[in-house]
Amino acid sequence: MKIRNVFLSLMIIGLFWSCSNDDGEIQEPLGDYANGILVSNEGPFSNGTGTVSFISGDLSVVNNGIYKLTNGEDLGTVVQSIGFTEDEAFIVANVSNRINVVNRYTFEKIESITEGLNNPRYFVEANGKGYVTNWGDTADETDDFVAVINLQNYTVEGTISVVMGPEAILAKGDMVYVAHQGAWGQNNKVSVINTTSNEVEKTLTIGDVPNSMQLDASGNLWVLASGKPAYTGDETAGVLSKINTVTNEVDTNIQFETTQHPGSLNFDRGALYYILGDKVLQQSLSSTTLSMETVLEGFGFYTMVVNNGRLYGTDAGDYASKGTLTIYDLNTKLAIDALTVGIVPGGVYFN
Amino acid sequence: MERKQLFLFFMGLLAFAQVFGQRDSVIVLDEVILSDAKLLHFSKGTKVKVVSDSTQQKNGTSLTDLLRYNSNIYFKENGYGMVSSASFRGTNAQQTAVVWNGININSQLTGQTDFNTLIPGNYGDVVVRSGGGSVQYGSGAVGGTILLNDSFKFNDGWKNTLLTSYGSFKTGKLAFSTSLGKEKTFFHIGIDHITSDNDYKYLGTDRRNKNGAYDQLNVNANVGFILSDGRILKLYHNTFSGDRDFSGTLAAPADENYRDLNHRSLIELGSFDQRRVARLKVGHLYERYRYFPNKQREEYSFGQANTVLANYDYKYQFNKIALNGIVDVSSIWAKGTSIENAQRKYASATFLFTHELSDKWDYGVNLRQEIVSDYQSPFLFSMNSSYKVTKDYLISMNASKNYRIPTFNDLYWSGAGASGNLDVLPETSWQVELGQTIKVGNIDLTLNGYSITTDNLIQWRPNAQGIWMAMNVQDVSQYGLELGLDWKRKWGDQELVWESEYTFTKSIDNETNKQLLYVPEHMLRSNLAYQYKKLVAFYQFLYNGSVFTTTDNSGTLPSYTVSNIGLDYHWPRISKIKFVLGLKVNNLFNKNYQNVAYRPMPNRNFQLQLITKF
Repeated sequence: MKIRNVFLSLMIIGLFWSCSNDDGEIQEPLGDYANGILVSNEGPFSNGTGTVSFISGDLSVVNNGIYKLTNGEDLGTVVQSIGFTEDEAFIVANVSNRINVVNRYTFEKIESITEGLNNPRYFVEANGKGYVTNWGDTADETDDFVAVINLQNYTVEGTISVVMGPEAILAKGDMVYVAHQGAWGQNNKVSVINTTSNEVEKTLTIGDVPNSMQLDASGNLWVLASGKPAYTGDETAGVLSKINTVTNEVDTNIQFETTQHPGSLNFDRGALYYILGDKVLQQSLSSTTLSMETVLEGFGFYTMVVNNGRLYGTDAGDYASKGTLTIYDLNTKLAIDALTVGIVPGGVYFN
Repeated sequence: MERKQLFLFFMGLLAFAQVFGQRDSVIVLDEVILSDAKLLHFSKGTKVKVVSDSTQQKNGTSLTDLLRYNSNIYFKENGYGMVSSASFRGTNAQQTAVVWNGININSQLTGQTDFNTLIPGNYGDVVVRSGGGSVQYGSGAVGGTILLNDSFKFNDGWKNTLLTSYGSFKTGKLAFSTSLGKEKTFFHIGIDHITSDNDYKYLGTDRRNKNGAYDQLNVNANVGFILSDGRILKLYHNTFSGDRDFSGTLAAPADENYRDLNHRSLIELGSFDQRRVARLKVGHLYERYRYFPNKQREEYSFGQANTVLANYDYKYQFNKIALNGIVDVSSIWAKGTSIENAQRKYASATFLFTHELSDKWDYGVNLRQEIVSDYQSPFLFSMNSSYKVTKDYLISMNASKNYRIPTFNDLYWSGAGASGNLDVLPETSWQVELGQTIKVGNIDLTLNGYSITTDNLIQWRPNAQGIWMAMNVQDVSQYGLELGLDWKRKWGDQELVWESEYTFTKSIDNETNKQLLYVPEHMLRSNLAYQYKKLVAFYQFLYNGSVFTTTDNSGTLPSYTVSNIGLDYHWPRISKIKFVLGLKVNNLFNKNYQNVAYRPMPNRNFQLQLITKF
């Protein structure tokens, strides 16, 4: 009973914050956004703005819409992702072609990048620069690029032309790896970009529709491809690929069944996790076949992040109301808490 | 002398008999001339409002503008002139039927009508029929039905109207209409061309509506022939071609363009005598859209649908009873970027019955069943009755079961991350309504209360694999009150007409008890017109209550009021030519408002109009 009351009052606090956010009038002292979780909420697709929610590390406080609360303006339409440098957060608004740069702990705006982006997706820092995947015009399969961001003046100072549909991006040393999910279509490539020359050094072929990547502790790059969906008329199987980042060669390909389309690859405490249908499965790094070990079952997460023995799963509901973030303990496999965040929560980050 | 008197008497009698005989057939002819007689006989007990052609000319740029200030419908516009969808009595855009000369013209692809792709002004009348009407008007007649009816004016001479207007944002309209009504033939053609840069200010920012220009061409053409005493042939045609850049939002710019093309053609052969009216209609409807996500580029996606329809309608009247049977057959095929060739065949049988029990009391029963190739269609009915308690007090009631069919998109869509669903069911809806009309002196008061329950609402949601699909996910209810007050007074050279309506609308999700998206609980509109000799001044007022923008009711869009004012001067005739010079100021108080979140509506703007009639 008591726990429930605490939970309810937390919910009310959450609602209160969201209300004041909507009004844009009441400004409460927020303190620091350090030591907590940031959730990027895409927001409605056509008439609105995405938001960012902050959840304190002990999960006791949820502040929704912290960017507007701090800066009095909207982030932009469809907040796709947030990328980080040591002190800054780069909040990517896809439809608005805009990246708002903020101090990642105070959320005070530093700059908005509006020039040189076209359908921006994800940001990563490497070798003192920012790298942002861009679809370009989705009707044009040849104008896709990675924008190079100058981190002193926050402008796009160069572009690297890549194959169609660059999505997830990840850095290791001087190398940047880009998974080409294929924008509105499908692709099956990983680009390897050398940041010292800002050139594509290699383009690797992997499974169809690579959607997520992880580096393991030994420096191997794991790429999960979902395979082509049935509606394409050319359904293909999902593939989990291991790439050697020293040679930049594909080391192993682990095949799924043709009708299996996995996603959301995560790496935590020596194991890989991913979503397949309504299951969360675990995969051991050493296995050359699918371990198919069920961790959780019966959930359709919109986004899943595994971190430090906890699983953070979001639910976008009907996509036209506030979503929820549910946190599970992977040992007990029980939900620790469920928190109301913004509309279509699509990214979970740790500050 | 006597013989002469007797002769005169007989002549008189003969003339009298002739007048009588003629009157009957004239009444029938008047009915046959109507493009939609179902409204006349089989809509008693429902709330019907006719918007006259002079009102159409005052608000003639789009059906949205016309109905926003002259009906109880709430419109969501994605920026002025952009896609406009109606919410009638708290229902959604697909639950509002638009009927052109008796034929339902809601899009086969989306199930709704974009009210900015219909241009009033050339129609004989625009009728707003509130409440369920699926038996008479088919899919989507749940919240209500908008009827666009062409009129055939035999014996009306040759009439021409030229309308030119120009105003803010380079909005210009050129409309020409000519009609020739002889004893046995009638011809009418009306052409409208409307263009606008539509680059209004976003109040409170330094930005403008940069990508909102539009260019629209509309043609209405009708020909009628009275073939013999008992036969009439009518041909109707309407073409609309629209080219719009789609506005962005406050949060995101846009570079989109959208092109509509609609052709609607109908041939009607009517055969009638005093008791019987038979009509055979054959029609063709064509709709096509092209969507350019980036107007600088050539790529576009498209959808198109062709409908061929035939309908036979037989009405028999004896004494106080009218019986009407209608058989419809149609074939629809659609294709598009995301729809492979898809086809639907459809047949329906409708039976309409009305009985005048006395001068005071009438009632009707209407039934419809259809057979469709690709989904199960429910049996539909409606019952209606009206009772005149006194000369000035009328009570009416109706109950009906209505539906909204799955669209071609709902069933056959096939594209990235989204898919049609062949298992989706039609939405079915039950409703009851009670209405009262009271006349007190110069005042007409109407009060209507209604309740609607809809099951199996079709919505697009992601399935377990994350693919968006049409599903029957929700049951919803609407209930509400509509209070209308019309007042008219004439004295000397002056006339004052005041017409107002307040609506209270609850539209709730039965599961969560939350108000549905974009349904204002309160709405008030009021039109005041004052005429002094050749001068007419009018004032339009709209209060739109706040609406929710999220299904959990956490996000809202604030309420707003808009006022428009206009002045018309009827110039003295110059050699039989009539001139009406008008000035209209829209959004008089320069209010910053949105009816769709993040999509501002225009600031104060002006429109100058000259109508020439000859």
